[in-house]
Amino acid sequence: MEPIRILLADDHNILRDGMRLLLERQPGFMVVGEAADGREILQLARDRRPDVVVMDIAMPNMNGIEATRRIVEKHPRIGVVILSMHHDESYIIRSLKAGARAYLLKDAVKAELILAIEAVVDGRSFFSPQVSRILQEDYVQALDRKNADDTYDLLTDREREILQMIAEGKTNKEVANTLNLSLYTVDTHRTHILQKLNLHSVPELILYAVRKGIIS
Amino acid sequence: MRQRPGVVLVAGFGGLLLIMAAAEAGAFLFLNNLRHNDTALQARFLARNRTLERIRSNIYQSGTFVRDSLLAPGQSGARAEVATLDGLRLDSESALNSYAAALEPEEGAPFQDLRSQIEAYWKVLDRTLAWSGEEREKYRDAFFYQELVPRRTSMLQIADRIEAMNEEALRRGDVKLGDLFGRLQLGLLAMIAVTLLGGVTLAALTIFHILKLEGEVQRRLRESVHSRASLQELSARLVRAQEEERRALSRELHDEVAQAFSAVLLEAENLLDLDPAPEVRARLDSIRGVAAKGMHEIRNMALLLRPSMLDDFGLLPALEWQAREIGKRTGLRVQVASEMSAELPEEHKTCVYRVVQEALNNCAQHAQASAAQVCVRHQAGQILVTVQDDGSGFDPERVRGLGLLGMEERVRHLGGKFQIDSRPGRGTLLRVTLPLAAIPEAVRTSVVASEPELVWDGGPADGADSHSAG
Repeated sequence: MEPIRILLADDHNILRDGMRLLLERQPGFMVVGEAADGREILQLARDRRPDVVVMDIAMPNMNGIEATRRIVEKHPRIGVVILSMHHDESYIIRSLKAGARAYLLKDAVKAELILAIEAVVDGRSFFSPQVSRILQEDYVQALDRKNADDTYDLLTDREREILQMIAEGKTNKEVANTLNLSLYTVDTHRTHILQKLNLHSVPELILYAVRKGIIS
Repeated sequence: MRQRPGVVLVAGFGGLLLIMAAAEAGAFLFLNNLRHNDTALQARFLARNRTLERIRSNIYQSGTFVRDSLLAPGQSGARAEVATLDGLRLDSESALNSYAAALEPEEGAPFQDLRSQIEAYWKVLDRTLAWSGEEREKYRDAFFYQELVPRRTSMLQIADRIEAMNEEALRRGDVKLGDLFGRLQLGLLAMIAVTLLGGVTLAALTIFHILKLEGEVQRRLRESVHSRASLQELSARLVRAQEEERRALSRELHDEVAQAFSAVLLEAENLLDLDPAPEVRARLDSIRGVAAKGMHEIRNMALLLRPSMLDDFGLLPALEWQAREIGKRTGLRVQVASEMSAELPEEHKTCVYRVVQEALNNCAQHAQASAAQVCVRHQAGQILVTVQDDGSGFDPERVRGLGLLGMEERVRHLGGKFQIDSRPGRGTLLRVTLPLAAIPEAVRTSVVASEPELVWDGGPADGADSHSAG
C-alpha cells in the first residue's frame, strides 16, 4: 500500500522536527516536505503531491488559513489538518470555512495527530475534544437562533413596542418622545431589533411587521 | 514686586480724587464767601447812603421850618415849629451817630467838619427861636440870606463829598472782589492743569501696566495651551506605545513561548514512544503535564494582553471573543451587534476594542448587570459604539473613575465624543462617536456580509504570489 504523503508547515523548526520524528515512526506515514511559511507550503503542495498538509496558523508571509484556502482551491484532493495554538472559535470556524478538515490544538499532539491524518485521508473530519465542544456550542447557539419558533420571541417588550412604532412610520424622535427615552436609547433599540430579526432596513422592518400582523 | 504697581495706582488715583475734591470744596467756599462779601458791601453802601439822605433832608426841612417859624404871625405858631425842629435835630443827631459808627478812614475829616457845622447850625437856629416878634421882623431877611442859606449850602456840599467818598468805597470794594474772583479763576485753572496732568500720567501708567499684564496673560495662555497639547500628544503616544508593546508581547508569548512549550510537549511524547522504563515514563508524563499547563497559561495571558483576533480578523471577532470571555468569567450575557462593513483603521479598532472591554468589565464588576448589549455601527463618516447594560447604574455627574477617564482619553485622542447616560437604578448607556474620514462608500457597501480579509502577514505581495502558486 502506498504510504500517506505528508507535508509539514510550521515556522518553528523544533516543532517540525518533533512532528517528523513522531510521524515517521508511524508505519505507512511519509513526510515528503517541510515549510516554514505560507508561501513555501503553497509551492510544496504543488510540487510534492501530498495527501495531507499539517498546517500551523500563525506563520510569516502568509498565515495558515489563507494558505489552506489556496491549497484546497487548487488541489481539492489534499486534506488539510490545522495544528494550532488558537483555541478560539473565530480561528476554528475560519479554518473550516477555508477548507480544513481537521483542527487540532497543540496541547495533545501525538495520538490526535495520527488519528486526524488517517481520518482526513479517509475523507472524514477530525477535531480535538476541546474543539468539538466549541463547535458544538456554536452550532447549538446558531440552532437556537434559527429555530427559535419565531425571531419575534427574541425581542424584549420594549423592543416590540418600538418595533411597532417604527413600523407605523414614527421617527426615532417621536418614539423617544412618546416613550420618554433618550434618542440614543431608541437608536440603540432600533439597531438591536434589526439585528435580532436579521433585517437591514426600515422598509424590510415594515414588511416584517405587516407579515406578522403587527400592523395592517 | 507684584504689589507695587497696585499700591502706586491706588495712591495715584486716590490722591488725584482727593485733590479734585479739596479743590472743589475750596472753590465752593471761596465763591460763597465772595457772594457774601459782595452782598455786605452793597448793604453797607445803601445804609450809609440812606443815612446821608436822611441828614440832607433834615437840613432842608429845618430850613423850611425855621423860615416858617420866622414868618409865623404869633408866638404860639412859632413854638409849634420849634417842637418840629427839635424832632429833626434829634433825628439828625442819631443819623450822624449811626454814620459815625462805620466811618471810612478818609471820611474822618469831612465828617467831623459836617458834624461841627451842623451843631453850629442848630445853635444859630436856637438863637433865632429866642427872638421876640420885633426881632424876628427886624433880622428875618438878613438871617435867612446871610446865615441860613450859606450854612445850608456848605453842609450840603460836605454831604455830597461824603457821598462821593461812599461811592468810591463801593467801587473799591467791587475792585477788591474782582481781584479775589480773578485769583479764584487762576487757582481753578491751576487745579485743572494739575489734575489733568496727574490723570494723564496715571492713565498712561495704568495703560502701560494693563498692556503688560495682558501680554503676560497671553503668554501664559499660549504656554498652557501648548503644554496641554503636548501633554495630550504625550498621553496619546503613551497609549499607542502601550498598545504596541502589548501587541508585541502578546505575539511573542503566543508564537514563541507557547510554541516552545508545545515543542517540549511533543518531544516528551516522542520519548514516550520509545517505550522507556516505567520510572522515566513517569517523569516524561510529568514534563508533558507541566508543558501543557504552561502552554495553556501563556496562551490566556497573551489573549488578555491583546486578543490576536483583533489583529488577525478585526474588531467584531475580537469583541465577540471578549463577550464570550467575560460571559465565562462572570456570567454576564453579552450580545454583540455590528453594522460595520469595512475594517477600521488600526487606532480606531484598538480604541473601540479597549473602550468596550473596559465598559463590559464595569458592567460585570460595578453595575452587577446580568446582560449587556454592544453595538458598533458605521454611518455618515462616523463610528458609533454603544454599550448598554441592565445594571445598577450610577450618577455620571459624581462618579468619574479612572476607567471612565481612560476611556474618555482614548476617545478624545481620535477626536471623538464620549457620553454616558445613566441614573441609579436605570442601567447605563455608554455612547462613543468617532469621526472617520477615510473609508470610501464603495468599500463599505462591497464588503457587507462577506468575510473579512484573511491575510494579515502577507501584505501587498500576496496577489502576485497567488498567481505563482496556482
